[in-house]
Amino acid sequence: MEHEEGSTLEFVWITIVAAVIAGLAASMAYYGFAKGFNPVCNATPISIEDIEAGRFEPGVEEIAPGIYRVNIVARQFSFEPSEIVLVDPKRVEFRVVSMDVIHGFQIPGTSVNSMVLPGYIGVFVWEPPEGIEGEFLILCNEYCGLGHDYMRAVVKISSSSSLLEG
Amino acid sequence: MTGSYGVEDRFARITITFSVLLLLLGGIFGLAQVINRAPYFELPSFLEVSPKTYYTFLTGHGVFLAVAIPIFWITGFTAYLAPRVLGKNLRGGLLRLSLLMMFAGAIMAAAAILSGRSAVLYTFYAPLKAHPLFYLGAALLVLGSWVFAAAFFLQYLEWRRENRGRGTPIAVYGLLTTFIVWIEATVPLVIDVLKNLLPMSLFGAKVDALEARTWFWFFGHPLVYFWLLPIVTLWYYMIPKMLGVRIFSEKMARVAFIMFIIASTPVGLHHQLVDPGVSAVYKYLQVLLTLVVASPSLLTAFNILATMEMGGKARGGGALSWILKQPWGNPVYAGLAVTFIVFGIGGLTGIINAGYQLNLLVHNTTWIVGHFHMTVATIVAVGYIAATYSLLAELFGKGVKWPRLALAQPYLWLVGILIFSFSYYIAGMEGAPRRMLNIEGAGGPPIPSEWIYTLQLGAVGGIVMSASGALAVLVFFYSLLRGGIAVARIAPNPHPEEGDPYHPLLENWRLWIAVAIVLILVAYIPTFYELYSRGLAPVSPVGV
Repeated sequence: MEHEEGSTLEFVWITIVAAVIAGLAASMAYYGFAKGFNPVCNATPISIEDIEAGRFEPGVEEIAPGIYRVNIVARQFSFEPSEIVLVDPKRVEFRVVSMDVIHGFQIPGTSVNSMVLPGYIGVFVWEPPEGIEGEFLILCNEYCGLGHDYMRAVVKISSSSSLLEG
Repeated sequence: MTGSYGVEDRFARITITFSVLLLLLGGIFGLAQVINRAPYFELPSFLEVSPKTYYTFLTGHGVFLAVAIPIFWITGFTAYLAPRVLGKNLRGGLLRLSLLMMFAGAIMAAAAILSGRSAVLYTFYAPLKAHPLFYLGAALLVLGSWVFAAAFFLQYLEWRRENRGRGTPIAVYGLLTTFIVWIEATVPLVIDVLKNLLPMSLFGAKVDALEARTWFWFFGHPLVYFWLLPIVTLWYYMIPKMLGVRIFSEKMARVAFIMFIIASTPVGLHHQLVDPGVSAVYKYLQVLLTLVVASPSLLTAFNILATMEMGGKARGGGALSWILKQPWGNPVYAGLAVTFIVFGIGGLTGIINAGYQLNLLVHNTTWIVGHFHMTVATIVAVGYIAATYSLLAELFGKGVKWPRLALAQPYLWLVGILIFSFSYYIAGMEGAPRRMLNIEGAGGPPIPSEWIYTLQLGAVGGIVMSASGALAVLVFFYSLLRGGIAVARIAPNPHPEEGDPYHPLLENWRLWIAVAIVLILVAYIPTFYELYSRGLAPVSPVGV
């Protein structure tokens, strides 16, 4: 009898484990593939010589109101541009490259978090929460050498309504 | 099953003593790191470290504690236990060769690190370049462990031929799983070293950063199961033995081990969820497999808890008082139980790291540091040490000199790790970066205030953990000098009452290894096809 009881408990537990795993897998798939919320995945190869030759220009470009494209060049131990200004951003496409080793590109407190791999242009999109304002730290979050700690930049986000008020 | 195991025991004494020495060295590094990186922590100047020292220590902390100790300790522990369970010797020649290679490798890698010329951290991502001895040493250390694995596999196959129709005893079952996973893990490492890292370091050859990273994590995740599996083995083997009961479900235990074999490896991409250049579908596929490899841990949690309950009730416990009836006053049991509890919490946080979207919030933050100190660090500093207390009598012929200090050690660690890891979890959720010395004074907008008190609290936890580690080292060496009492017995009981159950399907190693290989191919062929068909983008190496 003892054995039978044990087997039932085992079966119940295995069912619970399978259900939890299936639930997690389904929710991740739903948000990833139905809602399109994926981490950075796209990349195009680019050589460091091509970046040096100006085939990838660092800078911020507003394509349409609130729609930005931001090109970032990471190198030991700085980001270019080191200051990004965004007004009422709705959709920001980041394109990140490295001139030397692997770096990271993170805006703590947001979902912006990507590796920056030398040899590749990494492309990802950030849709900032509505009404976001202030100065945010950008930091390299992958060890890249002895000056890693100092590899930082800033993104300044303002909303036009508060500019008018000011 | 009595025999003479002089050669095995000498091997085990050397590797286990060396592991405790490495614990001392790596622990000192860890203490220096945790107090130096806490923002606004006023330190006396002799305790302050420069970035070069900090990142050298960080490299040593990872390589010594998470790679070298597991290799030395696990081979030593296996050399002690497997012959006694199977009643067969290991081949002495292979043991000697393995010891020679492992030591040569460890010394080369240690020299490369301690000279300050290989501050590339434990993940050594190319194109950041270390001294060639770093890679050569690592490769030799791993190849030496393969020689040991060969000796173990040969011994087991011989036993099997002589014992047809008998079930493999659970201790050897678990250790075999450990070494099978180790081979799965280290083949990609050896490929990475030979194809990418050595040519890069020796000749300045160009290397593709994404390809090298992919090979690294192909190795890096199954590596964590290599650390863990000897402790899972000890939970299944020692906990029922010390409680005087059988495992709640012998079959479920073996199923869990088989699941570790098939699902430990094809999951490395969950460390690369924010890597550009790997498609969403391939990332998601490996996230799915990661959830599968969480299930044997969940099966183990159930099975061990049920075993503890049976044991507690057999000792007179009731519906809940069985918890109090555990031998909490035995240092070996306490160590294994603390490891079990802490690993449980740490394992659950791992599901968040592997969360396909949630990973964005915690990737490369101190959350990850909190996670792997609850898992691997606790396994090493409490789990391996608990078993070592027992071996002090059986293997070293000495016993434990201060059993009360030995008992305090895991509990002290429990306090320290809870403070440390939960502080680092909170800091990580607020975005605090891992692997950074100067968090508060490096320019840019001010850091979030949540980072300050959490990382300071983390330093307090780290100091408590270091005290626990220091106790372990002290008890070990003082016991070697003075001798003491035996605290538990790891060697099998001379007359096991019942044989091990025999399930033909669960003894079919060839089948499960084949399944593992198929899953690895399914998980990694698309990734490598994507990488190579797009054309690699090699870049020049950069020294530290």
